[in-house]
Amino acid sequence: MPTEFPATVVRLDNGLTVIHQEVPATPVVVADVWVKAGAIAEPAAWSGLAHFLEHMIFKGTDQLAPGHFDYAIESRGGMTNAATSHDYAHFFLTIAADSLAETLPYLADLLLHAAIPADEFECERHVVLEEILQAMDDPDWIGFQAMAEQIYQHHPYGRPVLGTADLLNQRSPEEMMCFHKAHYQPENMTVVMVGGVNLETTLALVTHAFRPFAQPTTCPQSEARPMPSIQGIHRQILELPRLEQGRLTLSWICPGIDHLTTGYGVDLISALLAEGRSSRLVRELREDRQLVLDIGSSFSLQRDCSLFSISAWLEPQAVAEVEARIQEHVAAIADQPITEAELNRAKRLLCNDYAFSTETPGQLAGLYGYYGTLARPELCVTYPQVIQGYDAGSLQQLAKTHISPENYVATVLKPI
Amino acid sequence: MTHRRVLPNGLVVLVVENPVSDIISARLLVRAGVAYESRSQAGLFSLLASLLTKGTQTLSSMGIAEKVESVGASLGTDAAADYSLLSLKTVSADFPAMLALAGQIWRHPSFPEAEVALERRLTLQGLRSMQEQPFTVAYNNLRCILYGDHPYARPNMGTAESVAALTADALHETHQAYFRPDNTVISISGRIAVAQAVDLVEKVFGDWQAPPTPPPALRFPAVPLTPANAIAAQETNQSIVMVGYQSAAVKEAAYVPLKLLNTYLGNGLSSRLFVEMREKRGLAYDVSAFYPTRLGVSQFVTYIGTAPQNTQTALDGLQSEIERLCTTLLSEEELQVAKNKMLGQYALGKQTNAQIAQLVGWYEILGLGVDFDQTFQEVIATVTPEEAKLVAMESFEAPFISILGPEAAVACVR
Repeated sequence: MPTEFPATVVRLDNGLTVIHQEVPATPVVVADVWVKAGAIAEPAAWSGLAHFLEHMIFKGTDQLAPGHFDYAIESRGGMTNAATSHDYAHFFLTIAADSLAETLPYLADLLLHAAIPADEFECERHVVLEEILQAMDDPDWIGFQAMAEQIYQHHPYGRPVLGTADLLNQRSPEEMMCFHKAHYQPENMTVVMVGGVNLETTLALVTHAFRPFAQPTTCPQSEARPMPSIQGIHRQILELPRLEQGRLTLSWICPGIDHLTTGYGVDLISALLAEGRSSRLVRELREDRQLVLDIGSSFSLQRDCSLFSISAWLEPQAVAEVEARIQEHVAAIADQPITEAELNRAKRLLCNDYAFSTETPGQLAGLYGYYGTLARPELCVTYPQVIQGYDAGSLQQLAKTHISPENYVATVLKPI
Repeated sequence: MTHRRVLPNGLVVLVVENPVSDIISARLLVRAGVAYESRSQAGLFSLLASLLTKGTQTLSSMGIAEKVESVGASLGTDAAADYSLLSLKTVSADFPAMLALAGQIWRHPSFPEAEVALERRLTLQGLRSMQEQPFTVAYNNLRCILYGDHPYARPNMGTAESVAALTADALHETHQAYFRPDNTVISISGRIAVAQAVDLVEKVFGDWQAPPTPPPALRFPAVPLTPANAIAAQETNQSIVMVGYQSAAVKEAAYVPLKLLNTYLGNGLSSRLFVEMREKRGLAYDVSAFYPTRLGVSQFVTYIGTAPQNTQTALDGLQSEIERLCTTLLSEEELQVAKNKMLGQYALGKQTNAQIAQLVGWYEILGLGVDFDQTFQEVIATVTPEEAKLVAMESFEAPFISILGPEAAVACVR
């Protein structure tokens, strides 16, 4: 198992972090810029502003007309996009290595000197409102938001990254500018460069392009982020129109990225329970008893606290029985033996998934940027080793502490 | 870079050596998919694909799952419009054993009654849940009017009526008729030498004999001649508006120019629809176009999701952008940008072993040949603004329109 971190991390004089890995056989380069300016950086009243800003970044600067950047990248055969979550916003481009020097300065200019013109702000707000309308037509998005609101309590992870129409309509370009200048600062940013470019060129290009940063301003601070804690079973039932099948989701709060070993252990429990047809829940509930149409689990590693969920798609009348059986399986992880073969199956699945998801420069850049923004980039390569280090006993201990059949949030979606 | 071998039994093997990662991806493809289904058989190949991994003459469903999951491989099956496939991904050392398992699944599925019943039930439920997504409902409605009795009219999973009637016997017969070495292509990409890959395939598939009679031929029914509209009222938050055209199959001359026009209109943040409808007018978050590669009559579709009060404006916008292609010559620069975009993204679509195995296997199964990868790119470069306009005029005569949204919003379009 490779545990040596294959990339180089350099901190520039202005505080900007650069992560670089050369992939010699590749004719392309991925530049992926991560900013600690996700939804948790917003004050509650500004909910949705971080994501809206991600849209407005593409609306140009004093030097670049709106749309010019997209055109510059795509007309050279490259691709660009961006995404915002609670913990980060990131902006990436993939381009032929020989076009990097011409295009990277554009990306840097957008990020450092976003103009946020008032007319573009108005127009783009309509686009974001359309994005919200589209999400509201997706029952799984509705269900996820309801779950998040309940489980995260007063922590901002409970707010939708998109914000709400009501709050967004109260925001101004000046407020967004203030948020941008406060957060898009070098100490909050990491430039990841992976592909057919060497370290020396990377550092020269980044040092040249990512300057000067705007004068930092103060802007309204985000509120404190109280850690959620779930005691007992919190059940929420939503009745939705146009629903053809029910959903049941059980969710647990787990430690954040500072407790990485614990998080990876929960990932292993997740694989034991519901990854693949021979996992416990899929085998019993989908294949044998045929109580669900499908069942799966997910572990999402986040900065402050992580999320473990088990979701079933089922007929609404099966909800109670399925919940009871999931409870039994969750309890069994903690207090009944896990066989060596079963544990090895789960380990192998996860380690191979890791190998399969580090195949391209884009995947690698995303991985380094994510870990670099939430904690330290070097941590990502410890994954296979930590997973292999678990034995049944330590996993059971972990289940007892974090995945209790008595403390969780249940979210049920039913047709009206 | 693609090595092609034909085994004595007619099976085609394609190998791309790619030593970068310790990964091997493979595709097993058969010339049999939705295109080969009659209306009463709709969903046949989708159900067959889902049953392949649910039992062989010597292994149970759980036995197969345990073999795959114990080595952390991924093995999946699916039916597409023109073919069906098995996808396999392993770390290199596990590949021989997993290819042997894939061989057993491909050649000797047992279609156990209980598993057929389970998957049929899950398919029927899957069909119901498609109704939850407004985009899918609008698209299914569009396909119905575009295609009539043609198999591309129907979702891959089939219809509630047809799926309910599918039996294990039908699956056995269908498997017998289509799954044969001279109707199968195996593509492999990853850390493996060509000779070793061919050798492995020969070991697993070399003794498979093709029946003396040829496999069933592909015959498409005619598509509707006159355009139609499909209007659906649902109390959604957004309206979905789609404008579609019956368009060239992959082997027709108009294929590459239409791919280019589709890129121009709908691909990326600088595409025409994105800039005009979203960036300048704020009418949508999602506005784009697609033109899938098909053996039969394909479809060129533009679509937008918009607030209900913008339904008519959005429809007018899509139609005027299509009309513009028929009346105005694109500038050399506009066309060149579309070409660069198309070629660049084509190259970026060949990064993973899975993508490479899929692409080369797919070209072979469609009968395009290994050279298509190269000729396709060469033909793109030759398209002129005049040719693009001519193709647009021929292709965009008769719009089929599908709209879904709140009653009040779609009523005005009616």
